[in-house]
Amino acid sequence: MTDAVLQIETLSAGYGRFDVIHDISMSVANGEAVALLGPNGAGKTTVLRSIMGLIRHRRGAIRIAGTDVTKMPAHRVAKGHAALVPEGRRLFLNQTVEDNLRLGAMRHRRNPQKVQELLDSVFELFPVVERHRHRPSSALSGGEQQMVAIGRMMMNDPTLMLLDEPSLGLAPLAIDDMTRALVKLRQQGRSILLVEQRVDLALKVCDRIYVLSDGRIIDEKRTGELGDDGRALIDAYLG
Amino acid sequence: MLQVLLTGLATGAIYGLVAMGYAVVYYVTRVINFATGQLLMASIMVTTVLSMHGTPVALALAAGVATSTLGGVVVYFLAVRPVLRFNRLSFAWLVSTLGVGIILESLAAVIWGTSSLPFPNLLNGRDVSILGAALTWQQILTIGIALFTVVGFEIFRKRTLFGKIGMAISSDPDIASAIGANVTSYAVVAFALGGLLVGVAGILVGPLSFANPYLGESFGISGFVALMIGGIEQPAASMGGGLILGVLTILANTYINAQASDWFPFVVVMVVLLVTPNGVFMSGGAIKGIWRRFQTSRVEAKS
Ligand SMILES: Nc1ncnc2c1ncn2[C@@H]1O[C@H](COP(=O)(O)OP(=O)(O)OP(=O)(O)O)[C@@H](O)[C@H]1O
Ligand SMILES: [Mg+2]
Repeated sequence: MTDAVLQIETLSAGYGRFDVIHDISMSVANGEAVALLGPNGAGKTTVLRSIMGLIRHRRGAIRIAGTDVTKMPAHRVAKGHAALVPEGRRLFLNQTVEDNLRLGAMRHRRNPQKVQELLDSVFELFPVVERHRHRPSSALSGGEQQMVAIGRMMMNDPTLMLLDEPSLGLAPLAIDDMTRALVKLRQQGRSILLVEQRVDLALKVCDRIYVLSDGRIIDEKRTGELGDDGRALIDAYLG
Repeated sequence: MLQVLLTGLATGAIYGLVAMGYAVVYYVTRVINFATGQLLMASIMVTTVLSMHGTPVALALAAGVATSTLGGVVVYFLAVRPVLRFNRLSFAWLVSTLGVGIILESLAAVIWGTSSLPFPNLLNGRDVSILGAALTWQQILTIGIALFTVVGFEIFRKRTLFGKIGMAISSDPDIASAIGANVTSYAVVAFALGGLLVGVAGILVGPLSFANPYLGESFGISGFVALMIGGIEQPAASMGGGLILGVLTILANTYINAQASDWFPFVVVMVVLLVTPNGVFMSGGAIKGIWRRFQTSRVEAKS
């Protein structure tokens, strides 16, 4: 697997003295969109946070496009290796939408032209965001805030995109918009690791899925092997 | 009355600079540096001792401010970083910063003795008359620097990328680091800036306070009271708290007695904390909330 963008080997990580994920191995190929599914508390967020360098892991190795990021602190992982749309959006609420986006492009600060291009690509994907660009981000609806959070992640122009439950708390219509946006990102050839509880969304966006339960990967499938609605999958693991 | 107000503002500007010294550190790191007063003392002592030994005044002043600035960084690496590395949510910095403060104080007493030394005079003590109120150039300079500092800080915070990253760290350090902010280096800068602010406060107040190893304590407390009055969340508000405290202190001295400034600030801060726990410059939303409660209670009273 030389073209793997993400390669995780026997990773264990957790909080305090307790591991919540155990011996996880998984990969994302270049240009592939992979979903990480699982019930509440399975450890999905923990996997994304350890890739991002936000928690110290005990054991294992994480490589992104060949670079060993296992021991990197978050601000170094953010130098283009990976960028995260965190669970619950977590925008900088006291700053404007545009400030949030520009902060996402911190690593390109010496290249204003690149920042402008990235900004344009975010506005192209989410026209609503451009309309609100000068408003405080706290004034936006949940769905709009989620778009800004995805935009902020895109502004980094990372090798690997990490998204943690982007559909959480959104109305059905907003979820449809969100799904279309993610499909577009995938079509642009981005490598994506998506954590989701909405199996239908994950199946529409992703090429492959992993199922995480109690901190262990218990299944892996190509989405082609599953039905459109993933009924069998839901019944088997997530019911 | 104008005299009281202006003298109060000059005194308050010092409290405000110290309060901002606390607030800038807290803004970025959520830590209160209880050695802040002792950093002010260090700036005064170093300036005094250097100029006593024949160093040109300007150089001595710069060395004083540099000492407290560096001192801030030392406090971070000695007392804050180790305990937060061990446990990010620990409150051990409460004790460790206090400890560094006490060590600094004792060290200064051992090296330079405990008697008060005269601070070099920078501006001659001639009075300026403003609408009948007499102020020294020193006091005018103090007010000017304090105002310049708040305005400068706010512009920097809101208009530069560095300032915006600081705001992001303040509101969500985890996510700020995930977008590429090196939170540690911002913490170092915050402690340095905190030291710089109290260092400046030190050389401004030095001619009045003289130089003594123990004066850090009283300025540290006054600055902290000012911080509580203005509110801890916004550095600019803490300067406002300082100015309010200064004016109230001088009022108390003038209209109660000369000792009133010892206890009066604490009465003020108790009242402030009871009425508006987040300081007098709390957000518009909170004020609106109180206003609405006031309105509804009036309506209820009528019916
Ligand atoms: N900061 C923390 N400190 C201690 N334990 C934590 C912390 N965050 C999560 N946990 C624990 O780790 C386990 C996995 O949590 P995690 O957030 O990774 O699950 P998840 O799969 O993302 O769940 P959800 O679908 O609810 O978001 C849970 O048992 C949780 O209680
Ligand atoms: Mg989660």
